[in-house]
Amino acid sequence: MHYTLLVTGPAYGTQQASSALLFARALLKAGHQLNSIFFYREGVLNGNQLTAPAGDEFDIVRAWQALQQQGVTLNICVAAALRRGVTDEQEATGLGLAAANLQPGFTLAGLGALAEAMLTSDRVVQF
Amino acid sequence: MKSIAFVFTRAPHGNSSGREGLDAALATAALCEQVSLFFIGDGVLQLSEHQQPEKVLARNYIATFGVLPLYDVEECYICADSLAERGLTPESPRVLPAEVLDSAALRARLSQADHILTF
Repeated sequence: MHYTLLVTGPAYGTQQASSALLFARALLKAGHQLNSIFFYREGVLNGNQLTAPAGDEFDIVRAWQALQQQGVTLNICVAAALRRGVTDEQEATGLGLAAANLQPGFTLAGLGALAEAMLTSDRVVQF
Repeated sequence: MKSIAFVFTRAPHGNSSGREGLDAALATAALCEQVSLFFIGDGVLQLSEHQQPEKVLARNYIATFGVLPLYDVEECYICADSLAERGLTPESPRVLPAEVLDSAALRARLSQADHILTF
């Protein structure tokens, strides 16, 4: 089956993102197709490269990046991200921001990307 | 074409759930002809008229619900039980025409959607 995941919980503070990551890994292991994960609302914080968990804690930001290297597109809503201080180089330059902090592997995208993914998926699961 | 339902469950201010849910619904309606909206629980407060969100330093997105018919989003449902629990009547003025359904009828409609997003 073709799945799309929508992640609306932050990298730390709730279990939404870690549940989504475990679910994504299980989907791939079971042979399902997971073309894209869309990060929206507080979910955009999963793409914040400056997230620095303690040495004995799970690093979910880099774990998402590893998932992207397995062929899963990680789309982050550009409007929701910019409001919450997550930006790539291009947006940072355009807006005159001091720095960029989007984790490599994530891509800023519009909400249309979520709509397109939903329309071509058998299942949409929100976390 | 898949049908996609957006369920609003939170009050309009205090968090950005309604505003970001509406943004997602509008973006989806631009690509999909079968978008429906459901207002349940505190979500029924999203459509109340005469809100003044600027007083809590929030953007007034409430009026934007009114443009949904321009996107051909005609299916909007509001929970009668949730209205009653909050002292609102089915006739209470709202920014968007929404069909008032009891919770059982609302669940039956919702179960027809292919995908459901909750805000």
